[in-house]
Amino acid sequence: MGRISRDAALCYGCRTCQLVCSFHLTGCFWPEESSIQVSRRPQTGVVRWSIDERCDGCVSEQECLCVAHCAYGALKTVDAGSAEEADRE
Amino acid sequence: MNRHRDIRGGLAGRILRVDLSTGAISTEDSLGYAARTLGGRGTNSLILINEIVPGTRWDDPENLLCFGAGSLVGTAAPGACRTDVSTINVFSGGKGSANVGGFWGPELKYAGFDHIVIRGKAKQPVYLYVVDGRAEMRDANWLWGKTTSQTEAMLRKALHDEGIEIATIGPAGENRVRGSAIMVDTAKAAGGSGVGCVMGDKNLKAIVVRGHGKIDVFDPPGFMSAVATAYRQCEANREKVSSMRRSAVARFEDLEFEGWETCLVVRNGQDDYWDMGKRARLMNSETGVPSMRRAVRACPSCPTGCMPYMEKPRDKYPEMKGEGFWINAVMSISRFDISDPETALSFWLLANELGLDTDYVASSVAWLFECYERGLISKKDTDGLQLTWGNGPALIEMVRKVAYREGIGELLADGALEAAKKIGQNSEYYLSHVKGQPSIEPFRIPAGWGLGVGTSPVAGRHMRGAVRGPGHSGPSGLDFDSTDYRNQARAVVWQGKTKELEDNLGICNYIGTWSGAHFLTPANFAELVRTGLGLEVTEGDLMDHYSAIGRNLEKAFNSLHTDLGREDDLPPQRFQREAVKSGPHQGSRAEKDQYEDMLDEFYALWRWDKETGMQTRADLERLGLQDVAEKLDERLACREPLDESL
Repeated sequence: MGRISRDAALCYGCRTCQLVCSFHLTGCFWPEESSIQVSRRPQTGVVRWSIDERCDGCVSEQECLCVAHCAYGALKTVDAGSAEEADRE
Repeated sequence: MNRHRDIRGGLAGRILRVDLSTGAISTEDSLGYAARTLGGRGTNSLILINEIVPGTRWDDPENLLCFGAGSLVGTAAPGACRTDVSTINVFSGGKGSANVGGFWGPELKYAGFDHIVIRGKAKQPVYLYVVDGRAEMRDANWLWGKTTSQTEAMLRKALHDEGIEIATIGPAGENRVRGSAIMVDTAKAAGGSGVGCVMGDKNLKAIVVRGHGKIDVFDPPGFMSAVATAYRQCEANREKVSSMRRSAVARFEDLEFEGWETCLVVRNGQDDYWDMGKRARLMNSETGVPSMRRAVRACPSCPTGCMPYMEKPRDKYPEMKGEGFWINAVMSISRFDISDPETALSFWLLANELGLDTDYVASSVAWLFECYERGLISKKDTDGLQLTWGNGPALIEMVRKVAYREGIGELLADGALEAAKKIGQNSEYYLSHVKGQPSIEPFRIPAGWGLGVGTSPVAGRHMRGAVRGPGHSGPSGLDFDSTDYRNQARAVVWQGKTKELEDNLGICNYIGTWSGAHFLTPANFAELVRTGLGLEVTEGDLMDHYSAIGRNLEKAFNSLHTDLGREDDLPPQRFQREAVKSGPHQGSRAEKDQYEDMLDEFYALWRWDKETGMQTRADLERLGLQDVAEKLDERLACREPLDESL
């Protein structure tokens, strides 16, 4: 199963990945119940992004919803255990 | 319409009501309101018209301050993050409304509320803490006097919760400066109508929201399909406005961009043209404002991404950083003939810090600059400041003085019209205002823009239908020249209708119908409403029924609370009399006869009385607004039914 990697330089901090992940897991829009957590502070411009073990690679979906809905191309699926996966934030 | 009209998803379902005078806190169902209005601003408007008695002033305890997140806010619908703030407009006395993006609105809905309705005044400064269906008033003396970013930082530190979102006023709102904003994420402003002034008058420093809840939609698979379609459409249309990903204002990095020649007002209205040298100095990528852009950020659920994060090093002003610098920043700074990028960015970020509406500051302070030039005021009146065109440090000092009511700033703090009365000497002629609210808008070149600004029910702002041609706004497929008076009314009404929907649903107009990209259309809105809210509507229902309800509620509020009439929808006198002095549009002025013709068509398209601009009982009844018609009858504001041919 692949895992999700984020390119911080491309991420705009819109939290769409967090929302659509929660939709996959719960059938509704529930940011607390998402494998992805995003926060950002406008005073520093920093976007914090993390993903936890609740990510199941969107089994039952045709594609990973977070990757498919990332308008900025910041997310992609990588093979678990790959060097790229190890570098993900 | 005789289809399913109950709301069955999308909303949190509750309205939080807080009386700051008594401390009473209660909740109420929001779905009934939304079924009638589509939610968001529409519901705020309905609450205001139902509950505020004519004769109430903005600073009476009975005035309400209503926050309303749009019906689709908190879902993955593209751009669904916007919140409307409605109250009595401190300038016009009629409807006040300001709209803001950012993370606050979604968090409010996850906390279980679609709206917060504030009544009364607190005896001491308070902030409101709203968490998961509960709310409490808390002491805010320790926050009073702090800037918006200081307030945000102090609340985050005190509450130990990374997930809170904050809407706050700055010192300007505390000091009841009329043109005060409510700031979200420290950088996004609910700016117009003096909403921050009302919040300060109520001694309400901030509203902190935190929610761990969820938003259900009516038809989850159908809704996600509509969202996917919308995302594909956004991607397909993105190249039409490719600069957006570098921030909305990045269009002005192209020195040939038509907005340079249609949007600017220079030296407080003495001209509407800036030469290439000034454009380049302000917006060149090596040393201009874009050189201080470090990143671009997006609001929740937004695939457009238009908010620049800026870092301005210490120069002749202190170091500053934060999100911001908007198209209005360019429109503001040209009023002072200032092309220095350090001043332009400092002006913007300082106004955010102090919680000032930049449109208000730019228009009213530029007017003072002109009063100074004409000798109507002197250095004796300006605390020694030389208010001369191009004087950046004087502008920055004026921003601070206005926020703190210091010296000459006190003169402007109660509104520029009040200041004009004090200065006298026909100074009001040089003040650009619509319905009492100072305005930065151009009226002489883009006719549809002027019409949209002039007819805005919330007084002199461009977000209620102003259009500048097919490359920027207006319906796709309607090919019109922004300087040609023909076709403008039709485009302005279309743009105004789509904005009603966007503000009710909470979808940013950049993702909607505004930028020229037409990322989403009313057809998308209809699909999202059907699957998200469970309302069985067509695109036509939205455009002809719900959008008309929204606009008519605000129009009716103005009729009930003010004496505004047709003449108040016209451009300021100066722009009718004085022509543009230079540039390709030299000689253009706001031609009164042609504006009158546009108004005739505009009123007819909204089904209002052409002579007076007033609503008719027949049309209000068509919209199911009999109760509003009865209120208007009581004020003798309702006119005879329209000719059926209209």
